[in-house]
Amino acid sequence: MAKTYDYLFKLLLIGDSGVGKTCVLFRFSEDAFNTTFISTIGIDFKIRTIEMDGKKIKLQIWDTAGQERFRTITTAYYRGAMGIMLVYDVTNEKSFDNIKNWIRNIEENASADVEKMLLGNKCELNSGRQVSKERGEQLAVEYGIKFMETSAKASVNVEEAFHTLARDIKTKTEKKLEASNPPKGGVQSSGGHHLRDNNGTKKLGQGGGSAAALNWLSSRCTVL
Amino acid sequence: MTDDNKIDVKNNFNHLITEEKNKHTVYCTKCPSKILSSTMGKHLRIEFNLPHMSQKKNCEAVECELLADYWMVPDMYMFDNIGFSKTVESGIKYLICADCEIGPIGWYDDKTKQSYVALSRVKHSEDS
Repeated sequence: MAKTYDYLFKLLLIGDSGVGKTCVLFRFSEDAFNTTFISTIGIDFKIRTIEMDGKKIKLQIWDTAGQERFRTITTAYYRGAMGIMLVYDVTNEKSFDNIKNWIRNIEENASADVEKMLLGNKCELNSGRQVSKERGEQLAVEYGIKFMETSAKASVNVEEAFHTLARDIKTKTEKKLEASNPPKGGVQSSGGHHLRDNNGTKKLGQGGGSAAALNWLSSRCTVL
Repeated sequence: MTDDNKIDVKNNFNHLITEEKNKHTVYCTKCPSKILSSTMGKHLRIEFNLPHMSQKKNCEAVECELLADYWMVPDMYMFDNIGFSKTVESGIKYLICADCEIGPIGWYDDKTKQSYVALSRVKHSEDS
């Protein structure tokens, strides 16, 4: 069967409980129905399709769905993740402070070259704001990652944030592909999955020494 | 009896099927979310008790509807936009709209990795 996409990226949403990760789960509609039956079971992940430079990109987006309460986000959850949205709530100082802990958790568990982005959510609630936009920007600069304020409720920047993260992963993937397959006619780019299997990126991430460091470095450069 | 309706509905689906596939693009009934491109689903007659999209309040038992017409999607990445519930004890996940989260609009079998979208719970229209 013909492949229906060019790239497949697995993305994770990470952050404290209550910061609105579930809302950021790419909800474009203003009204969510989320019938009691479904909300009782809980949502595992979503698949979204976006187009970029004529390429069809499938995003598989996972929410920690409460696991974070017990600080039990494990290596299994991070496995295969190519992008991570770090989400805090601009009306909740603690959730912002905890971003540092989440980044440490990611560094310990996720592949070293995972693309990260910082989101300050609920920016529609200006009255209760505890974290200024500048502080968010500052933290992102510190970690060399991109930053956006979003309002899942007012659908502000949510779509843009995912597009930005997807674009960065795509750029990185293409670079890697070029590096491992010197350009010759008709190189088949079949997406992240394929790449990971063939090039052993996973292995690099798990302590491949200088190669991993280089990888890490190049990921910094991409975003700076 | 609503059951009579259901059996007869079968014939009403014929105009949506071409060579056993979905002739039209599949959309959510409640929001503009595009779920499945045309010809990506194979029409299957299979009886499955799908919980109602709206359940009665204060009612403990989950009320289901026996539906028999589904689009079988062999690979989850063939969907344009779709949401999956957590796995329930029977080894399935329910399918929901990725945007407005209404559902279940179908189910996903963890073992076979096949998804089934109920024809009666989605909208079929020509590509816009």
